[in-house]
Amino acid sequence: MRLFEIYNRVSLLAVVAIILVTGVVYYYTIGVILTDQVDKDLVVEENEVFDYVRLNHQLPQVFKSNDQQISFTPVGHSVVTRKYINTTFWNEKEKESESGRGLISSINVNNINYQIRIIESKVETEDLVRIIFLITIGLIVLIVVVLFVINRILIKKLWKPFYGTLQQLKLFNLTDKDDIEPTNSKIEEFKELNNAVSTMTLRVKDDYQNLKHFIDNASHELLTPIAVINSKLDTLVQTGNFSERQSELLTDLYETVTKLTKLNKAMLLLSKIENNLVNDSQPINLKNSIEASLNLFHDFFLDKSLTVSPYLEDVTVNISKSLLDVLLNNLLTNAVRHNKAGGQVVISLNEYQLTIKNTGADKELDGSQIFQRFKKSGESEGNGLGLTLSRQICTSYGMKLVYNYAPPFHTFSVIF
Amino acid sequence: MKLLVVEDEAGLRDSIREYFTEEGTICEVAVDFEAAVQKISVYRYDCIILDISLPQGSGLDVIRMLKAARHPDGVLIVSAKNSLDDRLLGLNLGADDYLTKPFHLSELKARVMAIVRRKSFDGQQSVEFKEIKMDLPAKTVTVHDIPVKVTRTEYNLLLYFIANKDKVISKTAIAEHLWGDEMDIADNFDFIYSHIKNIRKKLVEAGSKDYIVAVYGMGYKFMEHEAI
Repeated sequence: MRLFEIYNRVSLLAVVAIILVTGVVYYYTIGVILTDQVDKDLVVEENEVFDYVRLNHQLPQVFKSNDQQISFTPVGHSVVTRKYINTTFWNEKEKESESGRGLISSINVNNINYQIRIIESKVETEDLVRIIFLITIGLIVLIVVVLFVINRILIKKLWKPFYGTLQQLKLFNLTDKDDIEPTNSKIEEFKELNNAVSTMTLRVKDDYQNLKHFIDNASHELLTPIAVINSKLDTLVQTGNFSERQSELLTDLYETVTKLTKLNKAMLLLSKIENNLVNDSQPINLKNSIEASLNLFHDFFLDKSLTVSPYLEDVTVNISKSLLDVLLNNLLTNAVRHNKAGGQVVISLNEYQLTIKNTGADKELDGSQIFQRFKKSGESEGNGLGLTLSRQICTSYGMKLVYNYAPPFHTFSVIF
Repeated sequence: MKLLVVEDEAGLRDSIREYFTEEGTICEVAVDFEAAVQKISVYRYDCIILDISLPQGSGLDVIRMLKAARHPDGVLIVSAKNSLDDRLLGLNLGADDYLTKPFHLSELKARVMAIVRRKSFDGQQSVEFKEIKMDLPAKTVTVHDIPVKVTRTEYNLLLYFIANKDKVISKTAIAEHLWGDEMDIADNFDFIYSHIKNIRKKLVEAGSKDYIVAVYGMGYKFMEHEAI
């Protein structure tokens, strides 16, 4: 629920409640005041009766007016208590009964006790109250409508800069060039928010640039010494006449430097992908890429006498060419490396997934461990980053890489 | 052949110079941006091996100056930066090739030779080594003008050997040349042996001498002179 919806609801409820209470209070107060007024009229009438009796020693003529009725009833010796009553008033003209206010009093005329009953119609009073009630209801409706409109239009307009900033934040992408635009709101809070967001995004972008530079620098700083070692080795072997022992050592050195290079490259690539620094995706026909990779692996398959069965459909995905090659090479390398001589590799590609199955050890791998960095089986010659890299590549393109084991096949599936 | 190596890292620079310097090849060096600019403003080279990240300047500016002056020198960028942007930028500016550090000297040599061939006066279409002749556009091999049927791998291997004649080439260098350096199968190079055995057999059967020798289990060498 939005902020101003909640605010709207609360403020409207409060206003309606207050007006209702006021209405009730009005109703009763005015009722009391008007009844009081009627009571006074009744007393005046009573006094008139008393005056008449005092002068004439007989009851006045009973007359009826539109809004007043007086009646005298002999009551013998019983005592009549003077009191006001709420009663009904029969309107002769309109032929209907109306609510009325009455005064019961008593008078002694020629030693006969009479009860005086003066009734006055309260219809005018009630009309007045009704009008007040209608005005109150009208006010409620008016205020609700006005508040609603004000909230809808004004608050929406007031919050516009906030939603503008929010929208820009949602669309914010580190690799984009545009910054958060300054807002032209007059409201201090939103200006501050926008400034804070702008500053933050600029700082984040700055940090991101630094990180990018650090990766570049690290790459340069680490690879250059390795390049020197490599070139020195290449130069050293030209000097000739090595003993068998020396040759073995040199061969080991070569292999180790190669591993070091690959490890370093894999780490740099991993960090690049994790920081989204690789963004050269393009539509690529997976079938063609896989066929090219299989071609490249031909010798490796042959070397282990593996039977390779590709079942490939035409599928196009959006991915970076270089990362796709890394992904395919890693998965195929695993399928070869962990295979047994004379085993099988089954590759199938359809629009939902790419699966690479291989025979190998008769034991399921620990699915929670294999994708972690530097987790590798004891006999593996890899650098322990292959599957981590593969999963990271898949994740960064919204795909999933999962492992499962159904004897005799270990299966890695890339789910698009 | 005249080459210029622009590289600030002394170790690498010296190795390259030593590897390339031989009969008929002069290899000059420049240690920084200034030196490189001075050299290219005066001398012409068949190929310039250019490190992009130089003290006091970018190697890319060296390419810009070469192109602005319409010098025909070939340019091979060597960089530790393996980013596609840099690669594309370098190649768009007019560099002929891009090699990521670290690399094997034999790979560098093969790339330089390819550039020099392309840049040479007539856009050399073939590579000849004594009785062996390789037709580059057709990717075919003849010995004494008799065609030899070779696979693509064997063809690449032979071209690589001829570019690095008289040098010991390590097995890892050969593997990386044939299968790319992204390939992570360093555990087993046995099948390199079978490819080399095949190409040797085919060449000898076609009447060529046997120039390829194994060196101490480390690698192979393509000898100018017949192996004894």
